[in-house]
Amino acid sequence: MNIVPVAIIVLVMVAFSQLSKRNILRLNVVAWMVIWWLAIYFALSYGINPPLPASIIGMFMFIVSLALAAYLTTSTDDMEAAKSAFVNFIINPRYALPLILVMIGLPVVSAYNVYSDMTQPPQPPLSTRTIHPPPPPSITFKGKTIDLIEDENPYRALKTDNPAEFAKHVENGRRVYFQNCVYCHGDNMAGRGIFAHGFDPIPANFRDPTTIAMLQETYLFWRIAKGGPGLPAEATPWLSAMPAWEKFLSEEEIWDVIIFMYEFTNQEPRAKEELH
Amino acid sequence: MRNLIIFAILCLALTQLNAQQNIMGSDAQRAAGKVIYDDKCAQCHGYEGDAASVAKTYFRPQPRDFTAATYKFRSTPNGELPTTEDIKRSIRLGMPYTGMPAWPEFSDQELTNLAYYLKTFAQDVFEEYGSTPSIDLQSPPAYSDASRDRGRMVYEENQCLDCHGEYGRGDGKSAPTLVDQWNEPIRPADLTKRWTYRGGATRTDIARTFITGLDGSPMPSYSIEPIEDQWALVDYVYSLGGTDDKYNEANYSVAAFATPYKGDIVIQDVASAKQTYFQNTEVSTFPVVGQVVEPGRAFFPGVNSINIQTIVNEDDIAIMLTWHDMSAETSGGNDPSVELPIYTPDSPPDTMGQYSDAVAVFFPTQESGGPEKPYLMFGDSKLSVDLWYSDLSKSEAQVIVGKGIKSMEPAAEQNLQTWSEYDNGQWTVIFQRKRVQEGAVSFDQEDVFVPIAFTVWDGYNKERGNKRGMTSWYSIHIPTLQKPSPVGPMVETGFWTFLVLGLIVAGVKLRYRNGDA
Ligand code: HEC
Ligand code: HEC
Ligand code: HEC
Repeated sequence: MNIVPVAIIVLVMVAFSQLSKRNILRLNVVAWMVIWWLAIYFALSYGINPPLPASIIGMFMFIVSLALAAYLTTSTDDMEAAKSAFVNFIINPRYALPLILVMIGLPVVSAYNVYSDMTQPPQPPLSTRTIHPPPPPSITFKGKTIDLIEDENPYRALKTDNPAEFAKHVENGRRVYFQNCVYCHGDNMAGRGIFAHGFDPIPANFRDPTTIAMLQETYLFWRIAKGGPGLPAEATPWLSAMPAWEKFLSEEEIWDVIIFMYEFTNQEPRAKEELH
Repeated sequence: MRNLIIFAILCLALTQLNAQQNIMGSDAQRAAGKVIYDDKCAQCHGYEGDAASVAKTYFRPQPRDFTAATYKFRSTPNGELPTTEDIKRSIRLGMPYTGMPAWPEFSDQELTNLAYYLKTFAQDVFEEYGSTPSIDLQSPPAYSDASRDRGRMVYEENQCLDCHGEYGRGDGKSAPTLVDQWNEPIRPADLTKRWTYRGGATRTDIARTFITGLDGSPMPSYSIEPIEDQWALVDYVYSLGGTDDKYNEANYSVAAFATPYKGDIVIQDVASAKQTYFQNTEVSTFPVVGQVVEPGRAFFPGVNSINIQTIVNEDDIAIMLTWHDMSAETSGGNDPSVELPIYTPDSPPDTMGQYSDAVAVFFPTQESGGPEKPYLMFGDSKLSVDLWYSDLSKSEAQVIVGKGIKSMEPAAEQNLQTWSEYDNGQWTVIFQRKRVQEGAVSFDQEDVFVPIAFTVWDGYNKERGNKRGMTSWYSIHIPTLQKPSPVGPMVETGFWTFLVLGLIVAGVKLRYRNGDA
């Protein structure tokens, strides 16, 4: 969301409602509907990041128009007021000049729309993807079944039981990371590796609290062992450059690099939920 | 009097100590620096600062050995030690396109501590010679084309082109022979890609780079007189990458766009085709990175970007690829599907004549009917890719159907033509084919995007098989040949809108003629 445009829109709306409440500005139903319509249009156009495609905005605005029309028809008084305002605008000679402006302005605007539509450079298709798809219950790793729900990192307990031994696993994980992962995930694990700019989706940033800090170690094991090709269809496996490390690394090396990822970024894996 | 002398001596000693401290920092600062270093830097630069590390052979240039006190990027004269600020700058901004990352997350204090700690790896040298002041670079006069033209002469006179090449593409005649202080092969910078300059891309930075030279590398230092000539050389180097500061950053494209061509496409050779067909077409540039996804990894690919220009007429599509390559390898051979071990740090690339340069552009063989594409790594068992492949030691192209690196077969139909040329550090390869081809990728529709990806093999770097430079999937737009003029539809829309409005107004006026709304 783009905070600034949204805040401006909200402020303008509040201002309008205050002005009309204090009777400084007299706004009838039609004026209010126009204001709402524009506010929603601007919010959709400028308030969302990444920007929505024009076709989606068009669809939303069609629905909004329908909703506003439906709202109008719920009250006969409002209907009457709207109708008389409309008719008045057309037949009252006081409004002759604005009417002429509308008669000229609207065709010009729609012609311009056609022009900009036809001359706009074509936009490449965007593909959306699910970042953390649900893992399978278990995977086969070099002939061995790893249960992603029940199993745990076999070296995790050493952290409290045998810190010296644990440190060896951290050090081994460091080696694995800097010989294999640093090119994409970066030396600071912030996703800024020397090849990161060549991949789309970009390599994950493990310092971001929404990645490894909210994942379990077995989830990481799955992602590291099976990589991009192991993803389900909604996560666009054909685009992810994340390698399937089962081709390169042993089981112990993968558990070690997982430990190192948490130690290096000062994060803890998400705890296993209690089974109920 | 005696007291005064003692006091004076004490003062002197204190200022000495102070100066010493300004070079080496305090114990506390160095200790704080060590903590960060052991955590973030030692895996590459070694715990002892001697670059004996797990990652050493995975980078080129290799991580710096700090015990030699050799620093490339300094504000001090050639052969002198860097200032604390110089070291801090190198850490903060890093060295783009090498293994040395930028560290924007460190505070100024942390950078200072790190710089002091780095100096301890060559403590004696820094204590003795570490206080050389920076060179005073005056600010440059405004850029001018006249100065650039003069700069070209300075460039020739100083033999920059011996290493950097005629057009600065890093392909000078001695380029393939260069090694650095550690006897590792090193390539001259491609001066046309200013965003890869590690010393900085502004005109002042360029001046500093050649005035100070890069210690430890073959890049010499120059003092160029008169000063007008110095800035003229700067302007020439600057112009090689485009005379706009926007080229200080990489400008990669999001997609490629084909341009319609009226008439037949009959290509004789690359030079004339460039003139006749590709002159006014849109150039898209995509980053090329090392293939590090599957075994046979390339950790320091020889090529870092590729350009594409495309034309289409009713029947044909012609794609022109260009990229910079230090030396053309046109003997030996290459094979995209040769099996390689996971990673073997190849011995120095002294292998002229063994592996040739090669290039491929590839597309999904069939439309998938959805967003789904063949797997980025040459396709998969479900969806295959069509590889348009050219081994540049041969004169014909090959179409290969890929279902992953382990399954690459020549296509049944081989109706693909190719032309290639190597000119002063730049390869140009053109592929031409009929737009429609049974059982292969077809460009039969208009105003659509077709997925496209590229791969480049630098034979001199021993790249073959999966050891290659690669790109992600991008897309190429196939345009409408007869672009309809917007005037007709514009007038039409305007007219109909006006008509509808007019009818409404007329209707209302008629109905409420008496003014009793
Ligand atoms: C070729 C580049 C590349 C290399 C090398 C690479 N990765 Fe990745 N990795 C990616 C990309 C791209 C993503 C994001 C797309 C995805 O989730 O598949 C990713 C995602 C991940 C994720 C999922 C994070 C999440 O939040 O879901 C993990 C875990 C991971 N990588 C670990 C590793 C480890 C460990 C290594 C080294 C053994 C490694 N990666 C090497 C490119 C790479
Ligand atoms: C991923 C590996 C890697 C890591 C991590 C790394 N470096 Fe480097 N560093 C390199 C490489 C490779 C070079 C050589 C670059 C060149 O010669 O162009 C280098 C060069 C340098 C230089 C030399 C600059 C010059 O002017 O010659 C300094 C200083 C430096 N690194 C400091 C650091 C510090 C401090 C850290 C930790 C915060 C660090 N590096 C972390 C790979 C790394
Ligand atoms: C003997 C060969 C040689 C000559 C002659 C030479 N250079 Fe270089 N130059 C190099 C090499 C090698 C590098 C890359 C060094 C590295 O990677 O550490 C380089 C790098 C550079 C860079 C980029 C540094 C950066 O910021 O990354 C510039 C700019 C440059 N040279 C300009 C010049 C100019 C101008 C001249 C002539 C006055 C010149 N060079 C002459 C070999 C040479």
